[in-house]
Amino acid sequence: MILQALTSYYNRTAQGGGDIAAPGFQKQQIPFLIVLTREGRFLDLQDTRSPEGKKKVGRTFIVPKAIKKTSGIAANLFWDTPAYVLGRPKPDQNDAPEKAEKQRRAFLDRMKEIFPNPNANVAVSAIFGFLEGNDFQTLLNHPSWKEIEEKGLVLGFKLDTDNCLVCERQDIVNALAGTKPSTKGNGICLVDGEVDVPVRLHTAIKGVWGAQTSGANIVSFNLKAFTSFNKKQGLNAPVGQRAEFAYTTALNNLLQKGSRQRLQVGDASTVFWAEKKHVMEDVFADIFGEPVKDNPVQDYKSLVAVFRAPETGSRPELEPNTRFFVLGLAPNAARIAVRFWYDGTVKEVAAHIYQHFEDCSIVHGPNQPETLSLFRMLVSTALQGKSENIQPNLAGDFMRSILAGTPYPQTLLAAAIRRLRAEHEVTYPRVALIKAVLVRESKYYNKDHREVDMALDKTNGNIGYRLGRLFAALEKIQEEANPGINATIRDRFYGAASSTPVAAFSRLMKLKNHHISKLDNRGRAVNLERVVGEIVDGIDEFPTYLSLGDQGRFAVGYYHQRQEFFTKKDEQQL
Amino acid sequence: MDGPVRKSKTILLKVWGDYACFTRPEMKVERVSYDVMTPSAARGLLEAILWKPAIQWHVEQIDVLKPIRWESVRRNEVGAQMSSRTNGLFIEDQRQQRAGLFLREVAYAIHAHFTMTDRAGPEDNVIKFEEMFVRRAEKGQCFHRPYLGCREFSAHFKLVLPDEQALEPMSETRELGWMLFDMIHDNKADRGHVHSCTEWCRPSFFKAVMENGRINLRDIEVRS
Repeated sequence: MILQALTSYYNRTAQGGGDIAAPGFQKQQIPFLIVLTREGRFLDLQDTRSPEGKKKVGRTFIVPKAIKKTSGIAANLFWDTPAYVLGRPKPDQNDAPEKAEKQRRAFLDRMKEIFPNPNANVAVSAIFGFLEGNDFQTLLNHPSWKEIEEKGLVLGFKLDTDNCLVCERQDIVNALAGTKPSTKGNGICLVDGEVDVPVRLHTAIKGVWGAQTSGANIVSFNLKAFTSFNKKQGLNAPVGQRAEFAYTTALNNLLQKGSRQRLQVGDASTVFWAEKKHVMEDVFADIFGEPVKDNPVQDYKSLVAVFRAPETGSRPELEPNTRFFVLGLAPNAARIAVRFWYDGTVKEVAAHIYQHFEDCSIVHGPNQPETLSLFRMLVSTALQGKSENIQPNLAGDFMRSILAGTPYPQTLLAAAIRRLRAEHEVTYPRVALIKAVLVRESKYYNKDHREVDMALDKTNGNIGYRLGRLFAALEKIQEEANPGINATIRDRFYGAASSTPVAAFSRLMKLKNHHISKLDNRGRAVNLERVVGEIVDGIDEFPTYLSLGDQGRFAVGYYHQRQEFFTKKDEQQL
Repeated sequence: MDGPVRKSKTILLKVWGDYACFTRPEMKVERVSYDVMTPSAARGLLEAILWKPAIQWHVEQIDVLKPIRWESVRRNEVGAQMSSRTNGLFIEDQRQQRAGLFLREVAYAIHAHFTMTDRAGPEDNVIKFEEMFVRRAEKGQCFHRPYLGCREFSAHFKLVLPDEQALEPMSETRELGWMLFDMIHDNKADRGHVHSCTEWCRPSFFKAVMENGRINLRDIEVRS
């Protein structure tokens, strides 16, 4: 399914004249170009890099497809590292110069293989003239050369009269397209079911966050234990040349830097695409990503509503029954694992996203964003709020349940509550997350009891929720009794109060009496006593412990009650 | 084989379990399951209950009884192959953590029949094996524990009798793409009863289509 969908995405993009490499080619960053005259004389070394953050990044060109390099020697066509192009290895490598010389020969041989008669083509003859002339002194004296050699930066060739690389010249592209290997198919491709040549080693997938920068594989059999039926490497899963090229190119294109169709969800690099061109591809990342800085109020509702409304069926670019795919990838050693895979229609996805935001929405301060990005919510469950501390599987499971409209993982609730108890910080993202888990669960399993709401619900009789409110009220009393206090009861008792209430609250209620008696404003004291009385009304005794769900409700109750105090204060000031 | 093919009547077996992984060959390292049970997995289930050299199972149809749900699990697997000449390998040294995308809470109904092979003796006949299967399945007997794709995902099974109410599959129609049908083994190099795979052993695939939760395998084109 995954490979099939990627293959048809490639075909769609290639036929639509999209920005994607043709068979036999690939996109590649080439930081430096050797500029030659038509006679093969060295003119200049051109730096194509532009600063991007702290690093400099070379321009991307479309070049003949890279050869999969292992420890052996294999040269790319018309582009490669200094060791291959000029026989100059990285200085820190203790490889003998003989290896570099072999690499240099391999580079020339590869070109000769495709162009047996170099003089027939002006660009090829220029390159041969230069490389076989062996007079590299002007090049080696170039100020940039030292850096190229040290870092082993990739080099390409360009003629001074052209404004494209040699390998992008139309005559070369045509010549290469004509030299397709004519091996007859000897196996069936499991992606399209046609007879084709099964590929032994698949092209590496680059751009998966946390994987090796040189790329990792989805389809690979890099240990003997993964093979069966006496098959070697790719023959274990016969994928034909056409399909292999299409799916790897499509995936690399989706994952590349600056792609509008990728999203980082925890440790899972997520890409998404539609069966045919669809606006959803453009807005999906915005819906889940961080809100744009100059437009903090992301109007996700109207954004998503467009895709849900049935009448938009008349506009072809909004066709709600278009299939939509979401693929989450995470690295594992030299391989890529599929964290989640979703396949549904745009309409379903939109409905589920809408539901997700609905479930997460909760009352919040005026300066806080209306909707929380996935990142903000996930990070609130992580130690020190660092994204690398998000539990590995959590993000993928979260994303999957959003897209499929299923209950959120219980581990999410547990993680959020654990962070709450450890940090005593009942923050907006955390509570939104807890509320969402509780609401979604009771909705999904059709539980008839009343679940927590957007804002304070005084009629909610759940013991966890009520105790949360009570705890907020007690803290408020303490704060008013000791203005400017540094550590409140929350810092000392939150964990105990939310898990073993009987132990904590009997003490807290006694403390409350002390605090109340310290209040100078008697009217305020009576008022607060009334609030506490209202909350505990009907609670006969404090329970010995609270379940995980009730601990969640405790947090929500606490948060709601606290928000209530804040808004009250605002109104009084007005 | 002499005479007409001796074919049994269609048997209906319900199987279910908490987890399943019908591993896709292209993603069998970091496992990803097919959306539904493959024909060869269904065959394996039947063979776990009854298999003799005299019979060969043919799966006619697979009904998907529960919605397709996914779960991603990390678990320990072994990263080495044991040579037949050693005394064993120490698994703790060969542990590998691998991710898997598995199916959750699956249930299928398998429609299948068997035919007699040319290894059937004079005392073997269709009725004998049919009744044997029914007796064994009703009692819950099996040669080895039937499983849903991977050994660790054991399957429950129940024979559905003809007079029992038919099982209602889920109502979903979609194309599932090319799916593994079975392995075709080359027996030429076999010595005695030991088969060793050669490069001529090859997988076969078919285009799977789920129509109202039913995957019909009767008149399909199988490519290998």
